[in-house]
Amino acid sequence: MKRPFVRTASSYLIALAAVAVMSLVIGLILRLIPIGNLSTLYLIAVLAVATRLGRGPAIVSAIAAFVAFDWFFVNPLHEITIADPAEWVSLGVFLITAVITGELAASERARAKIAQRREREALLLYDALRLMADPDLDVALAAVAERVRAEMHVDRAEIDLRIAGTEHEAAAGGIDSPGAVTELLGHGRAPTDTASGQPGRWIRVVPPKTAGPVAAATLARRFEVAVRAAGGTIGHVTLLRDDRGESFTEHQRRLLELIATQLAALAERSELQEVVTRGEVLRRTDELKTALLNAVSHDLRTPLASIIASTGSLRQHDVTWTNEERDDFIEAIEQQAQRLSSIVGNLLDLSRIEAGALKPDKQLHDVSALVDDVVSRMHGTTSRHDLHVQVDPDLPPVAVDEVQIDQVLANLIENATKYAPPGTTIDVTARREGANLQIEVSDRGPGVPASEIEQLFAPFYRASGRRSASGVGLGLAVARGLVEGHGGRIWAGNRPQGGSRFVFTLPYESSPEPVGKR
Amino acid sequence: MVVDDEPAIVKALERNLRAHGFQVASATTADDARSEFERWRPDAVVLDLGLPGRDGLEVIKAIRARSATPIIILSVRGSDADKVGALDLGADDYLTKPFSVDELLARVRVMLRHVARPRTGTDAVFKTADLAVDLEHRRVTVAGAEVRLTPTEYDLLRAFIANPDKVLTPLMLLRAVWGAEYGSEAHYLHVYVARLRRKLEADAKRPRYLKTEPGVGYRFVAQEEIALSSD
Repeated sequence: MKRPFVRTASSYLIALAAVAVMSLVIGLILRLIPIGNLSTLYLIAVLAVATRLGRGPAIVSAIAAFVAFDWFFVNPLHEITIADPAEWVSLGVFLITAVITGELAASERARAKIAQRREREALLLYDALRLMADPDLDVALAAVAERVRAEMHVDRAEIDLRIAGTEHEAAAGGIDSPGAVTELLGHGRAPTDTASGQPGRWIRVVPPKTAGPVAAATLARRFEVAVRAAGGTIGHVTLLRDDRGESFTEHQRRLLELIATQLAALAERSELQEVVTRGEVLRRTDELKTALLNAVSHDLRTPLASIIASTGSLRQHDVTWTNEERDDFIEAIEQQAQRLSSIVGNLLDLSRIEAGALKPDKQLHDVSALVDDVVSRMHGTTSRHDLHVQVDPDLPPVAVDEVQIDQVLANLIENATKYAPPGTTIDVTARREGANLQIEVSDRGPGVPASEIEQLFAPFYRASGRRSASGVGLGLAVARGLVEGHGGRIWAGNRPQGGSRFVFTLPYESSPEPVGKR
Repeated sequence: MVVDDEPAIVKALERNLRAHGFQVASATTADDARSEFERWRPDAVVLDLGLPGRDGLEVIKAIRARSATPIIILSVRGSDADKVGALDLGADDYLTKPFSVDELLARVRVMLRHVARPRTGTDAVFKTADLAVDLEHRRVTVAGAEVRLTPTEYDLLRAFIANPDKVLTPLMLLRAVWGAEYGSEAHYLHVYVARLRRKLEADAKRPRYLKTEPGVGYRFVAQEEIALSSD
């Protein structure tokens, strides 16, 4: 340890220098005004040394002052003689003064140091607690690690914590982890002095990882404190320092243990939080299941009821139906069966979207053909509305999964027919909007209340006051899933003139080979 | 009158009811239903509960506020609470979608027959199949043999025959027999119904008169048509 020695030596030199300066001052004063006993001036120097540098230098300065006074100012000059008993007294006073003031100053300094340390401890703990409050656990741990690293003046601080079966790790600082170092040693790469201290090439750490605090004296450069919770050790706080640093002190160990205790509390809190979250997720899932069941019971049964009523009617033995009536019943059966099939299709799509299993099979398609296809297929559904289609003729082909985008457009049009009163106009427009194709379906219905726009695309959601509108409330959820799967965006809003508009975009991108117009 | 927001169902019901000689009005919303009811004053109402805007339950309340017209609920809401709620509001019968057209027609006919011949409280003797209840002398006979009933059993039976072929919820029966302060003591009811069955039914396990409507309540079956269609 070079540095403390240098510091001690220099403080003794300063003590001697102070005495020399004071001797000079006394000599000058005596030149100008001959005063009897000026030796008390040395006390100033001794006091100054004692308060600044502590007891040892103070004593040295006291002795030096006595010798200097005797040598320079007491007859016979330039001779160390203590003939007069008064000089003995003088020496004694010097020494006692030096010792007492030195002692006082030293203890005062020690107290100040302790107070300062306490303050830093409190500040560190406070900071650590504040940083741990971050909702993102990994961010919190990284911040705490960085704070500990800065506070402890080490090169690297690591925290590992096991919370609810998951390992969380955070590190701050440049030295490679001890794991990597051990591996290095294990492979027998020769450590060289020149490499020490460089990030990633740190070498001198050999001790194996041991649980619990490691005695500061035995391990100067790697320091580990266990984080203990009710169920045993759940992690560690590890400090690493390159080998030129000082030893870890008892004080640092205590501080680190305080941090470890807080980390344990944090872990416990997160674990509880996780339990609560899991409960909440279960509850939501349960709610969703209930919603699904209700939706299924209502929206699958309604078409089923129509089908069964129609078949039951056809089977009435005591009634003779006209051909027209029979056809009507059969048509109703057909329509309702199709409706069922579309609901079931949407349900399946939604579950596939949620499972991430619905990957678009993108190929270039002509927009106008795509839109026309859907419109003509939906003729039955839109028969009670006036459907206006407007596709920009200059639109370049777009890379989409035809089946999926068909479904999106069909769902939006079907949605419009449900909410807009019969006889009103439904507009379908397609145009280019920057790097996107934008398709819009707008109606002249009651519009969407602003408060509900956000929830519209949630599964099983239906605009308020229209509980019985047919459909499970899946169409928009499926549309969103499919559009987002294409990298597009979908949103809803209201037309300034009244009525709602549903818009989705599909990105034009460098895409696979064109399939051309179909 | 048929009230349903599903055009296909309205159409099918209209066709069937007309084919069986009824005149049919229809409505697809609760508000329409109320105004149509005022206009037509129908003999019976087939009502869906899930209507746009106001709920079908509102329609029951509105109709019951001014008339005793039989109301048959026809809804996809199959939960017991929904059924009991509608019946407690005054609906007479309940069918869950999907339904059989035959059964619906049978129920409608039965309801209309009761409207045509109100029996409640007017006849001194109530008779159906082999069960006879002499309301004046509190005498009950099954196939001519007298059956001895306790006062509570008799009161319960009288509550049933006052509402023949109608689904009665536990709440209705408890209030009718035990008094207005009762309502949640359904187990009393189950015990007394079981006793009545032992005394009146040929086979208490397969009752002919006192049928259980699972989760909803009981139905006293007076007419063979109901007995057959609901089996």
